[in-house]
Amino acid sequence: MPSWTDIQQFLVTGLSLGGVYALSGVGMVVLYRATGVLNLAFGAVGAMGALIAWQLINHSGLNDWLAFAVAVLFGGVVTLAYGMVFGRLLAGRDPLVKATATLGLTLILLGVMDLLWTTSGGASRSLVIPTDNNTFQIGQISVTYTNVIALALGLVITIVTGVFLRYTKLGTAMRAMANDREITATLGVPVQRVTAAAWFGCGLLSGIAGVLLADLVALDATTLTFLVISSLAAALIARLRSIAITFAAAIVIGVVDAELTPVQSVSNYRDMTPFVLAAIALLVLNRRRVITIGRQGM
Amino acid sequence: MANPAGVRSEEPTKATEATGASDPAARRPPASRVPEASALVRPAVIVALLAFVLLALPSLLSLYYVDALTQAAIYSIVALGLGLLVGRVGMVSLGQAAVLAMGAWVAARILFATGLPYPIVLLAAGLITMVLGTLVGLPALRLSGLYLALITLMLAGAITVVLASINFPNGGHGFTGYNASTVHIPPIRRPSIATTDPAYFRYVVIVAALMFLLVLAHVSLRPGRAWAAIRQSESAALAAGINTTLYKLWAFALASFVTGVAGGLLAGGSRYLYSIDFQTQDSITLLAVVLMGGIYSIWGAIVAGLLLELLPALLNSWGVSADWLTILFGVGVLQVLTTAPAGLVDQVPKDLARLGRLVLGLFRRTAPATGSSSK
Repeated sequence: MPSWTDIQQFLVTGLSLGGVYALSGVGMVVLYRATGVLNLAFGAVGAMGALIAWQLINHSGLNDWLAFAVAVLFGGVVTLAYGMVFGRLLAGRDPLVKATATLGLTLILLGVMDLLWTTSGGASRSLVIPTDNNTFQIGQISVTYTNVIALALGLVITIVTGVFLRYTKLGTAMRAMANDREITATLGVPVQRVTAAAWFGCGLLSGIAGVLLADLVALDATTLTFLVISSLAAALIARLRSIAITFAAAIVIGVVDAELTPVQSVSNYRDMTPFVLAAIALLVLNRRRVITIGRQGM
Repeated sequence: MANPAGVRSEEPTKATEATGASDPAARRPPASRVPEASALVRPAVIVALLAFVLLALPSLLSLYYVDALTQAAIYSIVALGLGLLVGRVGMVSLGQAAVLAMGAWVAARILFATGLPYPIVLLAAGLITMVLGTLVGLPALRLSGLYLALITLMLAGAITVVLASINFPNGGHGFTGYNASTVHIPPIRRPSIATTDPAYFRYVVIVAALMFLLVLAHVSLRPGRAWAAIRQSESAALAAGINTTLYKLWAFALASFVTGVAGGLLAGGSRYLYSIDFQTQDSITLLAVVLMGGIYSIWGAIVAGLLLELLPALLNSWGVSADWLTILFGVGVLQVLTTAPAGLVDQVPKDLARLGRLVLGLFRRTAPATGSSSK
């Protein structure tokens, strides 16, 4: 039985990871609602941004925060570019086809990352956000400001996105497009611009998530790419609809995954948490009669 | 009713010419009427090719390429299963690498624990994997398209984590057969008639041919027709009285079976198994090559296997990084999904034909005009 200190310490880790999963999940949900694309390349884009930041900091001597800004911007630009080209080309297709296409982007990015920043030869890299070094104590546990930022960003982005979708013109346009794209277009809403905004916003979030996860977990292309599954799990539990539930689910996933670390008997299997939770969510929450009228599939 | 010899059931056009109609962006494979003569030529070519591969090829190539081709043959079986799911039934599975790992694990465990003959082991691996795959498929059948793909990804991820924990059998005792402190890990044994690499290559090709025949048999008979109906419109199939749940399960079971057998072959081929060889990324790469090879055709599976295993071997020998291939596969996925859903097998002949026409057109235009039709 892990000690109380352990539980508290891992709670801190869990909450910060959960915060990052939350902001990733929110990004994926909003993009899915606006365009019908489940962006499975979210993690890969963030990973590449993080590696670019690492490169700039360690090899070009760029200021840390500038490098992070570049990473975030890179995420936005790459995702936007993909959305404008392939999002448009595949606009009328089944969501499955659109999601599979993002897997294509994932492979391309994984290949590029391994080419430019190869992991063979035992080279290990790490990305350190300056706030890692500022810690404060709550009782016996130490909390870095990075942890606080991660959780806070998750919360803030969820709230801001909610407000944005509800009260701004662009946000309302996105909700309208999620509802019915054709009618929205006939109402004179600049559909292409709204779509572009959704893609760019999702990209920015993937850049932010990439930098944070690179700091909190590891700066490794494959690890970061497939951490998207945890955010995906949160989004699926929310049925790809409610960002509030996405936030809650993400926090739960992060905390459960972290809290199982000190429990010796299941520690090896704790990485199954997002998979298991997502599978349960898919089976229980998304159950519906499978009747397809016509298939616009592969 | 058309001439049975002329109606080649492996020809995808019959099943897909109707199904392509619902997808405006997909280019439909042409409905070709196969004339009598070529109906006999085709199986003859296949038999000749098979004979060449079995008898002549191993002696022509170095062991390096024999090994690469063995892997290619094994993965073409996996691609066959995935192609069946995606192309014939319309179900995308992002977890076939995990199924392959399961098959390899079961085979390795049995091979270490017992002295059973190889065909029995392969059969057992296939059947156990089939049962597991069906169990997994059962609740997932309620899901459609995207959600089905996602749950296969989730379940595959879970299996990968479990495998990383219990590891592959290495001759130890207990259920998992893994002994963490073993210094000299014994290699997994091979069939007594095929212990050398070239001999094992022939063994694999024969088993692969049997798997292809098995799938072909399914596709030509009632399951194939049911799958075609389900792929076109599940509600229409239901209305026609087809038990869609049963046939979808059947597809899962068949795909899992052949993949399990492939896993068994992989165990004997690689001789040492590590969980790092079966990662989530591999499932995605597998889907990529299957899409590129062509999901509507049996030949597409062979192309997929070659893409996955022969190309890296070639690149390696030329000193080019395999990462270029990952990038290529990613581009391939995008290309296939946007323009050529039927994959390379369909696309390359068409491109070659178009190239041929272009060249002929050039000739006609530069030839001296003899009252030609072109102004």
